[in-house]
Amino acid sequence: MLRRLSVAVTVAVMVATTGWLVAHGQTGEYKIGVLEPLTGPLAGEGKRHLEGYEIVRDMINARGGVMGKKLVFAVADAPDPTAAASEANRLITRESVKIITGTFSSRLCGAASEAAARHNVIYWETSCVDPRFNKRGLKNVFRTEIDATGFGWYNIEFIVKHLAPRFNLKPNQLKIAFISEDSSYGQGVTESALARAKELGLQVVAPVEYYNFQTINDMTPIIVKLKQLNPDVVHHIAYTNDAPLFWRQAREQNFLFKALVHAGATGYGGSDFGKATGKDGNGVFALLEPGPGFRLEALRPEGQKIEKEFRDAVQKRTGSYPFGAHQLAGGGLWLLKVVLDRAQSDDLDKFRSAVMSLDLPVGSMINGWGVKFSEDGQNSNERVQHYMLQWQNGQLVTVWPEEFTTNRAKWIPLGPWDARK
Amino acid sequence: MDPARPLGRPQIDVVAQLGVSTILLGGIYALIAVGLTLIFGIMRVVNFAHGEFLMLGMYLAFWAYTLLALDPWFVLFVSIPLFFGLGLVTYVLIMRGIIHASHNVQIFTTVGLSIALQNLALVLWSGDFHTVRPWHAGAPIRVAGTAFNLSQVVAFFIAIALTVALFAFMRWTHTGRVMRATAQDRDAAILMGIDTDRVYRITFALGIAAVGAAGVLVSPLYAIYPQAGLQFVLLSYVVVVLGGLGDMVGALIGSLIVAAVEVAGSYWFGTAWKEIFYFLLFIAVLVFRPAGLFGQRGAETLGA
Repeated sequence: MLRRLSVAVTVAVMVATTGWLVAHGQTGEYKIGVLEPLTGPLAGEGKRHLEGYEIVRDMINARGGVMGKKLVFAVADAPDPTAAASEANRLITRESVKIITGTFSSRLCGAASEAAARHNVIYWETSCVDPRFNKRGLKNVFRTEIDATGFGWYNIEFIVKHLAPRFNLKPNQLKIAFISEDSSYGQGVTESALARAKELGLQVVAPVEYYNFQTINDMTPIIVKLKQLNPDVVHHIAYTNDAPLFWRQAREQNFLFKALVHAGATGYGGSDFGKATGKDGNGVFALLEPGPGFRLEALRPEGQKIEKEFRDAVQKRTGSYPFGAHQLAGGGLWLLKVVLDRAQSDDLDKFRSAVMSLDLPVGSMINGWGVKFSEDGQNSNERVQHYMLQWQNGQLVTVWPEEFTTNRAKWIPLGPWDARK
Repeated sequence: MDPARPLGRPQIDVVAQLGVSTILLGGIYALIAVGLTLIFGIMRVVNFAHGEFLMLGMYLAFWAYTLLALDPWFVLFVSIPLFFGLGLVTYVLIMRGIIHASHNVQIFTTVGLSIALQNLALVLWSGDFHTVRPWHAGAPIRVAGTAFNLSQVVAFFIAIALTVALFAFMRWTHTGRVMRATAQDRDAAILMGIDTDRVYRITFALGIAAVGAAGVLVSPLYAIYPQAGLQFVLLSYVVVVLGGLGDMVGALIGSLIVAAVEVAGSYWFGTAWKEIFYFLLFIAVLVFRPAGLFGQRGAETLGA
């Protein structure tokens, strides 16, 4: 009797456990490689990017993980391209990962994905914007974020469609100057914006002023030169400390232009710019993922739900609205889950056909993104909706396209430095 | 200035502004280089961790400003004894052991120290960019068509004062003479009864105190982050080589030359050119005047 009872109890426990496991869908772990610059000059953004991954990883695991397993990370530090390549190799050979994601920076994604390609491992890039990334004929690389060409395109759209009418200028009357740090990111965005500006007949006042963000100590010579050329718009792609340096010195020199436009989560698009300048940073534009003021109602129902959950999770962990690095990582990792749900495999061919078969409209996902990949592994400009944000009293808020936001762009044109309150 | 345009008021203003920028930027470089040239000149050690002590000085100013609301100008007085002490400790723990070793060992050790300090800062204070914004950092001064920043002007004058003080110390005090004697011939100095270990200890501590003070002074001007030192350190080697190893006044003049090359190069040719210009100058000096523009001939091999 006792024996029978114990068998029955054991069976019952087993059934219950299996039931629980089936309900939660998690039997074992599924490990992916995560490459981030966690030391070196990009460490600040790299850590924030990793934080975005971790938040979405927990959201994914709360829903049953990927392919029935709990999603876990093998994290590696990639401060420079050499480390990115060697760490990618290590993740593949030692940690046996079949998917690598990362890397925040355009300096890193090329080298890391090249290494992954040699092992036929899936490389899922969520934030680098180097246009060359998926122009190399590699079948294993995918990118969820738009490339720099897209950034430049969006910036000129904003300048021509939104700023020019508010300055009472026709596009061909608008004078624009380009300044940029000289990494592939800065060059990619700047060259595409420049080409688009010329196409639309804007007056480009000087050749692009490129500089190295790690060694620039004085922007005054650039400012003095541009001041004489009197541009309406300054298109400045900055990386880190070069943004507050330019802004402080432009103010010192009383360089009066009508607007400054940047793109990306670095430089003017990073939280550090707000901390460095406070209200003095008022008026600067940065093309980014959505910020405060973003209307959830403008998204599709499924997009609203996941976006809200993501924002709340970031708020809970960091005490603030998601930053660009969180959003790129979060949006990208969520999309990876959607692909794995469909492919149910990390075999490159099956994974690839799942990616190509996805067709989701704008507003379906985190950041209001949609999905439609091209054959070279790039999610399309039109689906990866981008937004213009503006620094308003120490906060970056969404101001354009206007149907997506409750905020409106201010200080157009910028006016005197001391009058931007 | 556009050469095609006639020389008018706006052009004069531009040249004046470029001149002012050169002098102020040169002041910052001198402030950083003076400690390096001291250590380089007396100890014949290339301190690759110099930039990291600058970074630590910037963080000191940041924390004092954030936690205690202390102005960097006040923190300056605290930083000098503090970094003198830090220099002593670093000397005793690390530098003393390698002072007689080959240059390779010294380079590896100080590069190692540099990376260790960067990562220590990263672990302790994260990779975020910090800024110190005392009232004087946001106070532009406008004089006759030129504009500059009060923090920068003060940093410049302190750089001059520090250079003059170190120059006077080396020239006219007993300790200074002993230090110069040790630099010229270590063995002879030992035979004359000079405690060379003490000389090196004081030299290193003085050099670190100078760069710590520099860090505090530049904190209102540049972002503070673990790699902040890298932005300036390569440049201060150029300055030191240009000025002549161990030559304080040479370092000041070298700084102004580097700043002039940088500002003028950026304005007339584009910022991308500035490093090409000053590293060409660096190579030219090494090839044609290895003792530096102002150094004594043969000084570079002394004490080797």
